Amino acid sequence: MADYAIFWDASKCTGCKGCQSACKCWNLLPSPLGKNVNEPTGSYQSPLDLNGNTRLLMTFQENEVSDDKKWGVEWSIGRRSCMHCVNPACATVCPSGALSVDEDTGFVRVQDDKCIGCQYCSGVCPFDVPRYYAGGSRINKCTACLDRVKNGGAKPVNGGTGTGNPRYSVPACVHTCSPAALDFGTREDMLAKAYARVQFLQNKPVNPCSTASVYGDVQLEGTHVIMVLKYAPETYGLPADPKVGILPTLTSWMKPLAAFVGVATIAGLGLSYITGLGYKRDTLHFDPDTEETIDMDTGEVVCVGDGHGHKIRAAADAASDAAVAAVATVADKAQEGEE
Amino acid sequence: MTGHWCDFKNADVIISCGSNNVENHPESARWCHTAVDNGATWIVVDPRFTRTAAVADIYCPMRSGTDITFWGGMINYIIEHDLWQHEYVLNYTNATYLINPDYNFDVTTGLFSGWDEEHKKYVTTTWGYQTEETVAPNTATGGAFAYTLGEGVPEFTPPSKLVPKKDATLSDPLCSFNVFKEHYSRYDLDTVCNVCGMDRETLELVYATYASSGAPEKSGAILYALGQTQHHYGSQNTRIMSLVQLLLGNVGVAGGGVNALRGEPNVQGATDMAMLVYDFPGYLKWPTVASHSTLREWLEHETYSDGYYVNKPKFFISALKEWFGDNATADNDYGYDWLPKIGSRDYTTISTFELIDEGIIKGYFAWGMNPMNSTPNAKFARQAMSKLDWLVSVDWVETATAAFWKAPDLDPAQIQTEVYHLPAALIYEKSGTIANSGRWLQWRYKALDPADEALPDYEICDRLWKQITSLYTDEGGACPEPILNVKWDYHIDGQIDPRAVAMALNGYKKQPGDDGDWDSRELLTTFANLQANGTTACAIWIYSGFYGNSEARYDPSQQNVGKRSLEDKGGLGLYQEWAYAWPVNRRVLYNRASADMEGKPWNPARKVVEWTGEKWDNNDVPDFVAASTAADGTSVPVPPNNKAFMMTWEQNARFVCSTMKDMPLPEHYEPLESPTDNILNGRQNSPCIMFADHPSVQKGDRSEFPIAATTYSVVEHWQTGAQTRGCPVLVEAMPDQFIEMSVELAEEKGIANGDKVRVWNNRGDVQLTAFVTRRLRPLQVNGEVCHLVGMIHHWDWTGDYSTGDTVNDLSPNVGDPNSYIPEYKAFLVNVEKI
Repeated sequence: MADYAIFWDASKCTGCKGCQSACKCWNLLPSPLGKNVNEPTGSYQSPLDLNGNTRLLMTFQENEVSDDKKWGVEWSIGRRSCMHCVNPACATVCPSGALSVDEDTGFVRVQDDKCIGCQYCSGVCPFDVPRYYAGGSRINKCTACLDRVKNGGAKPVNGGTGTGNPRYSVPACVHTCSPAALDFGTREDMLAKAYARVQFLQNKPVNPCSTASVYGDVQLEGTHVIMVLKYAPETYGLPADPKVGILPTLTSWMKPLAAFVGVATIAGLGLSYITGLGYKRDTLHFDPDTEETIDMDTGEVVCVGDGHGHKIRAAADAASDAAVAAVATVADKAQEGEE
Repeated sequence: MTGHWCDFKNADVIISCGSNNVENHPESARWCHTAVDNGATWIVVDPRFTRTAAVADIYCPMRSGTDITFWGGMINYIIEHDLWQHEYVLNYTNATYLINPDYNFDVTTGLFSGWDEEHKKYVTTTWGYQTEETVAPNTATGGAFAYTLGEGVPEFTPPSKLVPKKDATLSDPLCSFNVFKEHYSRYDLDTVCNVCGMDRETLELVYATYASSGAPEKSGAILYALGQTQHHYGSQNTRIMSLVQLLLGNVGVAGGGVNALRGEPNVQGATDMAMLVYDFPGYLKWPTVASHSTLREWLEHETYSDGYYVNKPKFFISALKEWFGDNATADNDYGYDWLPKIGSRDYTTISTFELIDEGIIKGYFAWGMNPMNSTPNAKFARQAMSKLDWLVSVDWVETATAAFWKAPDLDPAQIQTEVYHLPAALIYEKSGTIANSGRWLQWRYKALDPADEALPDYEICDRLWKQITSLYTDEGGACPEPILNVKWDYHIDGQIDPRAVAMALNGYKKQPGDDGDWDSRELLTTFANLQANGTTACAIWIYSGFYGNSEARYDPSQQNVGKRSLEDKGGLGLYQEWAYAWPVNRRVLYNRASADMEGKPWNPARKVVEWTGEKWDNNDVPDFVAASTAADGTSVPVPPNNKAFMMTWEQNARFVCSTMKDMPLPEHYEPLESPTDNILNGRQNSPCIMFADHPSVQKGDRSEFPIAATTYSVVEHWQTGAQTRGCPVLVEAMPDQFIEMSVELAEEKGIANGDKVRVWNNRGDVQLTAFVTRRLRPLQVNGEVCHLVGMIHHWDWTGDYSTGDTVNDLSPNVGDPNSYIPEYKAFLVNVEKI
C-alpha cells in the first residue's frame, strides 16, 4: 500500500479560497441559493464553520502580537478539513463501514450508501470534522477526492513530474492552488518537503519564523494531511495536542452489535452524551446585537466578544481541554474495568 | 508591464505598493514565493495589513494617497547613501542632460515653472533641455527618414533633432540628475513619516532593503496596481516608481521592472487596443482638432526625431489602410479625414456623465462595462443616466447599468430611457486571443456554445455594423463617409471570424482590390516590414508577427500566438515559445539595460542579452539595434552603445521630462479630500486636477468628514460583482460588503465587529457590515491621529443571491490630467453605528 498525503503550507497560502470553492464545485456541494441568506460573519472566514455541505474551509484569525514591527498583528490563515489520520478514530467507531481507510492511498474514504447517520464519527474526531448532512442522512467530510486521485494515477503536479492525467490526478483543492501552497504526493515525500520548508522558514535571513512547525507527522501517530504552520497550531483552529476520546475503545465491543439498527440507536443515544464532552465545535451563531456567540444546539453562550474566530476558539479550546481530561479519566476507568 | 509575471521569481527584492497582489492577481503569488524561496525579501507597503502582507516579509503602513512622498523619500535616501547604480544612470538615462535654465519649482506656491493661471495648465517648455545643436532629418539613402520621400508616402516634414547639451561630470546644477536630486532633498525621513504615517524605523528598514537592489548584480521588482493609479496624480505615482527603478538600475533587467499588475479589468487589452478616448491602437494618438486636424499635422506632431518612433508614420498609415482598405489612397490621405477628431470637450468616463447630464450625449453603449457600479460618484451618474434616450447594455448578465432604472433611489415611472440588453458570450464560449499584463498574447479556443441567445462580442458587432451600414445606404444620413468607407471584411466562409481579425491585427501586404480576400494575402512576420506608402495594412503594429504564418493562416495553433511549449532558454522563466509577447516576442522591455556599457550582463546568472565581443548572444529578443544591414544585404552586428531606451527620441530614459501635463518631476499633493494639509509645498491639490469644479463633486471637508477612506477588491469577487455575485459558492465565501476599521476607531464610534454601519459623505450614504480589525490602525499624520477605513465595492441592487449598496456613491468624480483616471483610492467619509 502506498501512503499518500495532501501537503499544505501556511507560509504560502494566501487564503484565496480557491480550494474551498473548487472542493464544492468538484464534489457537487451546494451553497445557499436564497437571496441575501448568507449571514455576514464579521470575518473573511465564511461560512463560519464546516457544515454538511462544506468539507473544506479557510479560517482567518488575527493574533495580537507585541512586536510593533509586525504592526501588532499576525494573520493566521488556516485550512480546516479532514486530516485523514493514519489511525482514524472515525473509521474505528463507524458501525456501518461507511468510513474506512482506502488501502491504495491511506486516505479516509466515505461511502455514502453505507452511512446510517449515527454521527459517532463527528463525536470522536479530534478535529471535529465530519458533519451530518441532514437532507441526505449521511456524513460529509473530505475524501481527498479519491475519485480523481485513483482515476488519475495519483501523481503530483506542483513541481512533480507525474505521468498521470494532471487534470485529475490530484485532489481538486490541490489542482486549483495558485500560490502552490498545496501539493500532493507520497506521505514520505510530503513530510520531507514539510521539514525542509520549516528549516527554511526558521533560518531565513529576513523575517525568520521561529514558530514554524510541521503538523501531521507526530500528532495522533500521524495524518495524511501534512501541514507547515507559521504560528501556533491553535491559531489555525488545530489542537496543539489532539487526542482521541473514549469512543474507539467503547466501540470495539459495541461494533458487533451495530448490525442491529435498534441497538445502534440506543447505543447512539448513550454515546451522544459522551461525545458532547469531547473536543467538539458545535454549530455556532454570532449575534452582533448582543455580541454573543451562541451554541445553536444547546443555546449556551460560548463567548462574548467581537465574533472573530480566535475568541470563539479560545473559549472552545479551554472547554475542550477540560472535557478531554474528563473523558480521559472515564476512558482510564473503562479500561481498568475491562482488565 | 516592462517584464512579465514569471520574471518576479528573478528578483532579489520585491515591493508590493499600491497592489494587494496575492488577492487581486492570485497567480502572482506563485512567482513571488519562488523569489522568496530563492532568497529574496518581499515588502508590502499598504494602508492596511493585507492578505499579501500576511505572506510577505516586511509590512509598512502608509496613508492612502501619499505614494509620491514615500517614493520621493526613497529617492532621497538612495542618493544620500550613494546606493544608486552609477554606470546605469550616467549612461542609459538623461542624468547628464542640461535642463532649461528657466526651470523652477516654487515650494511656497507648489507650482512648477510654466504655469498658465488663465488656462489652468502648464506650458512645459522650461521642463525641456538646453540645445547643443539642431540636426536636420536625414532623408538621404540609408537615413532614418529616407522612406518619407518614397511614392505614396504622405507629404510631411520630419522633425529636426534638438541635440541636448550634456555635462558628463554632473557638475552643472542644471543636469537632469542634479535637478532631480535637489527636488527630492526635501523628502527626508521625518517628513515622509509625518505625511505617510509610518514609523521611522520601519521606513528605514524598507528603504535600506529595497535600495540594496541598486547593486549592479541585484534586481528589485515593483508590483503595483490600482492603489497607485487611482488618484488625481496617479500617472505621477507610476512615474516616480520608474524614477526609483532607473536610479537603482532595475529597468530592463531580469527580476526588475515597473510591473503594472493588470488582468482583472482587462486594462492591458484596453490600452493595447486603445479603448481609451485619446489613444489609437498600438499606443498611438487619436487625432485631436487642436494638434492633428490634417494627416500632415498628425505625422509632424507625432513622429520622433530619433529612436524607433521615426517609423511611426508606417504604423499609422498601415492602420488607416486596414481601417479603410481600398478606399484609403494617397490622394485622400488614406482616409484620415474620416476619423472623428476630438474637440474641446472631454469624453472620458467622468465627463461622459457630465455630458449626459447636460443632455449632450443622448445614447450610450455599455459594452462589457458596468458604470452604474464602477463609476465614481455613482449616484450622480445614475441620475444622469435617467436622462438618456436609449441605452444598450452588452453583457453576460443584467448588470446594474442594464437595470439602472431599478436602483432603489430612482423612480422607473419618471425614466423614459429605452434600455436594450444584448446577452454576450462568456470568454469560454468564443475563440480568440487574450492578453495578459506581461504583454503575452495567447489563442484560446471555444470550450462550449454560448447559452441561449448570447453571442460573441464580434458577432454582435458584426450584426450592428451590417444594420447600421444598410440604414445609411438605404436612407442616407449626415456624414456617411466614415461609416460606409470602412473596410469590414472579417468573415471566413461568410461568418465573422476572429482568425480574420487576427490577420488584420497582425498585418499583411496590401494589394489593390484584395479587400475580403484572406486566402492569398501575405501575412507580415514583423512590424519592421510595415510601410508608410499604402502597400501594407496592419490594425495594431505592436501585435505584428503574432499571427504571421501565411502557410497555415486558418490554423491558430500554427501561429506564434498559438504556441504552448514549456521550453525556457536561459532558465529565467522567459518561456520564449509559450504564447507571444508583443512587441516581436520580447519578454523584457529595455533589455539592453540588463548589461553594462561593454554589453556584459550586470549579473551573469541572469543574462538576458550579452555582447560576446563579436556579436550579441541573447536569451530574449533584443530591445535595441543589435544588427544593421550592410550594403550587400548581410546582417552586421552593432557593438554596444548607450541607446538602451530606443522608444524615446533621446534613446535614454528620463528623470526630468516635459511630456507629462502636470509635473516634470512627481511632487506630493494631497487627495482632493484629505484629512490633513500638504506640508511639502504650498498647494493642497495638484493644480492640474481634473473635473474638481463640477458641482456634483460636492467636496467634503475634514471637519465634517474626518475619516480617510479607500476602496479595494477581494479575491472572492470580480469587479462590479455582476458575475461573481451570480455564483452561489463565491457569495457563500464572501457574502456581504464590508468596511474594515481599526479597533480604536470602532471603540470611538461604539461599533462592534459585525455591526451594520452607515458610511456617508456629501455624495453618498451607504450601509455596510463593520469588520473591526487589528490589520488597520490609526496613523500619526502631521502630529495628529488619522483614522483610515477601507471598503470593498462589488455590490449593487442587482443579482439573485446577494445585493447591497453601491460604495462608489462615495468616491469623488475627479481625475488625473494625463490618464483621466478617477480618484477612487482616497477620499473622506464619516461612520456611525446604525
